[in-house]
Amino acid sequence: MLRKVAIVGYKQTQHTSESKVSRERMVYELVKSFFADMGITRDDVGTFVLCSNDFQEGRTISEVYMIPRVGAYMKDETKVDSDGITAIHYGLMRILSGNYDTALIVGYAMGGSEFLGHTIINHMLDPIYERQLGLINEISAAALQAQAYMKKHRLTEEQLAKIAAKDLRNASRNPYALRRLDGVTSKDVLGSKLLYSPIRELHTYPATDGACVLMLAAEEKAKELTDKPVWILGVANCQETYYLGDRDLTQSVSLKLAAAKAYKMAKIRKAAKEVSLAELHTTFASQQPIFAEALGLYPRGSGGKVIDRGESEITGTIPLNPSGGPLGANPFTVCGIIRVAEACAQLRGEAGENQVKDARIAVAHGQVGICAQHNTVFVLGNQPTA
Amino acid sequence: MVDIEKETRLVSDTWDLSLYKWKIEVDGQMLLLEGLKNKKILGRKCDKCGTVYVPGVTYCRKCFVDIEKVVEVGTEGEVATFTVNLADVRGNPLEVPQVICNIKLKGSDSWTMGNLVIDDWRRVKVGMPVRVHFRAETTGVLADLEYFEPI
Amino acid sequence: MRNVGIISVGYNGRFVSKRKDVNIPEMVQAAVHNALAKTRLTLEDIDAFIEGNMATFEGVNYPNLWLSDHIGAVNKPLMRISTGGTTGMSAFHCAYYHVASGLYDTVMAIGWEKHDEGDAQVGLGGIVLPEIFTMFSFGPAMAGPGAGGTLTGGGSTGGASFQAMSYLAKCGGDVEHIDMIAAQARSNAAKNPYAHLQVPGCTKEDIAKTPMVSYPLRFGHTCPTSCGACVMILTTDRKAKKYADHVAWVKAVATGTSDATTGNLIDGQITDPADQVIATEVAKKAYAMAGITNPKKQIQVAEVYDGFAHQELMWPERLLLVDEGKAPKLLEKGALAIDGDMPVNPSGGVVSTNAIGASAMVRVAEAALQVMGLAEGGHQVPRKVRNAMAHGWGGLFQFVTVTIVGDTKRRA
Repeated sequence: MLRKVAIVGYKQTQHTSESKVSRERMVYELVKSFFADMGITRDDVGTFVLCSNDFQEGRTISEVYMIPRVGAYMKDETKVDSDGITAIHYGLMRILSGNYDTALIVGYAMGGSEFLGHTIINHMLDPIYERQLGLINEISAAALQAQAYMKKHRLTEEQLAKIAAKDLRNASRNPYALRRLDGVTSKDVLGSKLLYSPIRELHTYPATDGACVLMLAAEEKAKELTDKPVWILGVANCQETYYLGDRDLTQSVSLKLAAAKAYKMAKIRKAAKEVSLAELHTTFASQQPIFAEALGLYPRGSGGKVIDRGESEITGTIPLNPSGGPLGANPFTVCGIIRVAEACAQLRGEAGENQVKDARIAVAHGQVGICAQHNTVFVLGNQPTA
Repeated sequence: MVDIEKETRLVSDTWDLSLYKWKIEVDGQMLLLEGLKNKKILGRKCDKCGTVYVPGVTYCRKCFVDIEKVVEVGTEGEVATFTVNLADVRGNPLEVPQVICNIKLKGSDSWTMGNLVIDDWRRVKVGMPVRVHFRAETTGVLADLEYFEPI
Repeated sequence: MRNVGIISVGYNGRFVSKRKDVNIPEMVQAAVHNALAKTRLTLEDIDAFIEGNMATFEGVNYPNLWLSDHIGAVNKPLMRISTGGTTGMSAFHCAYYHVASGLYDTVMAIGWEKHDEGDAQVGLGGIVLPEIFTMFSFGPAMAGPGAGGTLTGGGSTGGASFQAMSYLAKCGGDVEHIDMIAAQARSNAAKNPYAHLQVPGCTKEDIAKTPMVSYPLRFGHTCPTSCGACVMILTTDRKAKKYADHVAWVKAVATGTSDATTGNLIDGQITDPADQVIATEVAKKAYAMAGITNPKKQIQVAEVYDGFAHQELMWPERLLLVDEGKAPKLLEKGALAIDGDMPVNPSGGVVSTNAIGASAMVRVAEAALQVMGLAEGGHQVPRKVRNAMAHGWGGLFQFVTVTIVGDTKRRA
């Protein structure tokens, strides 16, 4: 890359199912306290990259009133309309160009109190065919994908429940998570409400209000702002075909392509040996083996084995979602930013009870679209090179 | 050759905004209404930069700090800008043209919007001095600021 | 520092009110083919795609995902940008940064809108609906002399009328000047085969015949809603020669955001939308980046975002292309015409063609065409264009984006 860029700070809200305050207040308080933590003011930020979705927020140009709330009044600001991880990707590009040295990334969504998250997906479906069918929504599509993987790679319902239970146990130790269920087991997951077989309520995320802020800085500036920079070693994004029927749902072609590019940039030759942990944007537990395998962290079809042997636990070979992932909290478009923030926490030794030992290289993933049509991967490290 | 007209169908859908619930912060509006009840216009001032906001938001967007200080601004001011509605949204001419102004009240850095009651809309000019006309009985609603009138 | 060149501009065809014969992906695809055909590139050579539009206007969320198969973006990087009226230029800036960052070499930027598939009023109303509902709960006057005034006011043109009135007061112009510039825009559009409202030989009297909507703005001063797509291909300086015969270099990109114009709504308003201090700041940043010290002499043509005709006079002043308060006089002297000293919107501008997601990108596209000498139909300015300025604007009167393109590369 033309410059070395690091994440110098991050902060997320205490996620809730219904915020007590407006999103404007929620974001203002978050960014204000972030600036206080970092010892900076809004004048220290070169550019702001926001992320929110109009259909989620129920308002056209959903960032109109949010801009002064993130400190961007009379300053340089833009907005991506995708998962929040894309805002980090764009912020990175702005710094790499040399036009800026710092970027503040802010994502916010009232996915809990404002609107039912799943139904936003309806407007993502093409109005000509898929919407008219009335069969596909986020959950039914995920169920189709789960069934496909389970059939092909003989993943059982018990094993799927164990994957969800693992994430939920991790989430119970995450102070920011909204869903914190003590001592949750696969039995609890299998006893939760059935949505679309085999997907049950505890296999998927809770509707969440929340926000996350993250700051990027070029090398010289990064060293001034923190003594624990998290270096961006590689990044790539990719999306596959839109039409569900044309895709092999048992794997993620686009994530595999993106991962290959990101690893190449990071000079990672064998991800399974070099990556310490991964934070995956798994809105459904069934996506976990699919994403992990596309990222080259575990062999194809190994989902059942991996969970049975405890390899994806915090103490396992390559921990997946040590933060609990989206099953703990998922404010829609903010999810990818939180995945990056949680990966940073791990690399900085700030993950508390969920700390992975000797975390050196982390993969953070964000996605958007039915069955993760579009994927972005960040490879992060606490050293400037892999 | 494809007969385009034969091969075109119309399908429809809706973005139902009534399904949404929003939380809106109204600290500035509540203060405004409290003031209107007493025939005053109230806002908040940032001590750092001196900006007076009406409605009185509780943070300063320039300084990015919380602000609390309540101030009263004048009930007289100048027309900062205006427009005249000569037709309704469908284009039908209005019997009585509606003059809507943005007023810079004395001491305020914000614009306050309202109707201007004037005999001939062609007399309205930017910079024209005006004053608030309160309703006789004020109860703490926006309608208490009934209209503006030229001084 | 990586130089970025624009090697192609494509349109799907003429911008029109309705395209009942194509759906969204088909419309956009035509523009993609049009842009590619002007180069020696194939779709395989495109490293990444950047797309933007205002999604609530067509009721399709993340339309980039639906478009991907139809624009050649399957199994490739694709990013979506949406910033209200400036979407087109924000998407262009994102494309610029894809290349300037060194991560990609050749990228395609797409801005589009298909207004016939939705209700623009719903889309626009949706910007502040929650605030308006809230205000209703505070008892605004619904009848009598105060009816509506404390709510949002401004008639159907909203804040634009306020801005126009304030601008006229500042520059000493009058409604007749807005009639004149609107007429000029519509006649310029007649020299642009892609523009929507083409009125050859349009006069200020023609415009003055249209009804006054919300004083001082007439129906003839406002933009149409158009359907169309604009595609631009950007690449590195090394590849520009390889792939195309023409290039316009990106010499500056800059952005800024100020007050949302909202009258008495929740957060209030502390700036005059006719002052546009942020536009002047952003222009200065852009000039510095492009190494331009005397914009009046060094910029030969400007494409500004004029959703309303008076803005075609206001923006050149705020962007320091003409002296403050002088635009009406310059208009009278013919200085802003295609063959004038400071041609403004030779393409006809947004007031003649407004497919919102494309409009701000079309400003850069037209600026690039002018630099490359490729503007068709008679709207190419007669003098040699060394530098051209493109300006985008949006949100609730608060977003400003600026791009400067030129015939020489940017120097570090």
